[in-house]
Amino acid sequence: MKSISDVLKEKKYGLHFGNRVLLPFSCHILKLNIENDLITDFSPSCKGVHVSENSDFMEIYFYNYKDISEYITKYEAIKLIVVEKGKDVFNTKNHITLALRPEENHQLRIEKLGENQIFIE
Amino acid sequence: MFRSNKLIVFFFLISLYFFGFQEIRAETITVSQDSVSSTFVTETLESEHQLPSVFMVIPFIVLLGMIATGPLFYHHFWEKNYPIVAVLLGLVTVFYYLLFLNDTHSLLHTLAEYLSFIALLSSLFVASGGILIRVDRKSTPLLNAGILLFGAVIANIIGTTGASMLLIRPFIKINKDRIKPYHIIFFIFLVSNVGGALTPIGDPPLFLGFLRGVEFFWVIQHVWYIWLPAIFLIALVFVFIDSKNVSKDTDAQDSYSGKIEFKGMKNVFFLLAIVISVFIDPAVMGWVPDLKPLPFGIREIIMFSMVVISYRSADESILKANEFNFEPIKEVAYLFVGIFATMIPALQLISHEANVLGEKLTPGIFYWSTGVLSSFLDNAPTYLNFLSAALGKYGMDVSLPAQVSDFAYIHPIYLSAISVAAVFFGAMTYIGNGPNFMVKSISERSGIKMPSFFGYMIKYSIPILIPFFIIVWIVFYFNGG
Repeated sequence: MKSISDVLKEKKYGLHFGNRVLLPFSCHILKLNIENDLITDFSPSCKGVHVSENSDFMEIYFYNYKDISEYITKYEAIKLIVVEKGKDVFNTKNHITLALRPEENHQLRIEKLGENQIFIE
Repeated sequence: MFRSNKLIVFFFLISLYFFGFQEIRAETITVSQDSVSSTFVTETLESEHQLPSVFMVIPFIVLLGMIATGPLFYHHFWEKNYPIVAVLLGLVTVFYYLLFLNDTHSLLHTLAEYLSFIALLSSLFVASGGILIRVDRKSTPLLNAGILLFGAVIANIIGTTGASMLLIRPFIKINKDRIKPYHIIFFIFLVSNVGGALTPIGDPPLFLGFLRGVEFFWVIQHVWYIWLPAIFLIALVFVFIDSKNVSKDTDAQDSYSGKIEFKGMKNVFFLLAIVISVFIDPAVMGWVPDLKPLPFGIREIIMFSMVVISYRSADESILKANEFNFEPIKEVAYLFVGIFATMIPALQLISHEANVLGEKLTPGIFYWSTGVLSSFLDNAPTYLNFLSAALGKYGMDVSLPAQVSDFAYIHPIYLSAISVAAVFFGAMTYIGNGPNFMVKSISERSGIKMPSFFGYMIKYSIPILIPFFIIVWIVFYFNGG
């Protein structure tokens, strides 16, 4: 599986289908924002979101959103604070803030959150 | 889901307008045949409709209860269904007025006020969304207090909504390393509410008073000596709390350029156009055409045009940086459809009781009544009803601008009490004033966990603001009248 830095460097896209997001990398998710929802509980008992890992990709299901593309508008994004698998999760310098932007044809733009945008840890 | 909501609202407004137009036209024709003045038409229409049943306050209480408890106990149901809930509860009141009271005048009047309200709010929201301010400075309590005070001042020029939208993101960004909910809450206190007490542009209730005949500079002349200590004292409390937070902060090692960057200058001109359009009203400028029986005027057309123009011409990178979306204003628009409609009976009953009590009503009673109700109801119609009651106490009529203007100078303490309370108490809850909700939403999308409806009141607004409001009451209104 590719690393987050490779995905960002290669400008590789993820995918989105309804309430499901597919990411071409593997990571630990620390915090996530979709709409007004701030999610920090990624345990199996969490009813709002489910994260699963496959050999080549990672997927996130948003149970409270039937189709994320209907909720995330043109200038918005799903925001995540993540740590690359294998890196020290306790070192805040390894914490990366990502923006996921749903586009047409199920493409999901993955980018580092711009310096003008805010997602507080 | 949202398409069907829009359709419900569309048919709601169309049917309201259609029924209202038919009745107003019929009544106008009848009255004009008898050669009676238009003033009399208004008075007759207002007086001939009977008071609503006390039970019709229930939809309003239910809606307020759901706004308060929805995000707390049934978050996802509420997030998905608040438009339907707000519109359906509004429709209960609308049908009651149409079918049982045969009173379309109250509905049309409310519709016109709603359109004015949402035109001002949405235009300021969209125009300010195309402006980006970047402040690359280290967060200090004094810098924060400076921003809050600056916001309180400009709220009187571009409205509390415009000032809130313009400053909330830079304020969050400056404090990103140590932000806490109290930062946002003091922002709501000062920039989104108390700050806007000096001019009719500052806050919608003062704007309604201006349209009814209160002179533009009356507010600043009669409120500045209350406004000034209030904002400085609230800012002082903020500095005290923020200083404690700074001392705990040990990680601030970033370097700062000290630069302040401003992008989106053309939207400043749009904001200016919106501010100027506030005066484009037949009641203020005689040459402005009156579009009655349409429930909006030239001013609203200009404001809604500014929404389209400023959005279409905005720089995409600024919109992206501001994470611009219509959700906050959509939320306000939907909830306030319900609030404006369901509060008609509540306000009419309050107004009636206020008129009945007459002589017993002191400035202190007006201050607290306007304030407490403005905390939970929309402060604009609350202001207007208490203004009407205060005028009624002296046999004057709120529909006659000359009498309103006279009242403002003969009995200034009453108007001052109502104006101050309507604006200041808007900070008591998330629903007290339009920008409160928007600021909350933007903060949550920026990763800040905001307190619940009751958490906001219990932890912040009651312990911090109520003592200030008591001081204002004791100093300015306790022995007045």
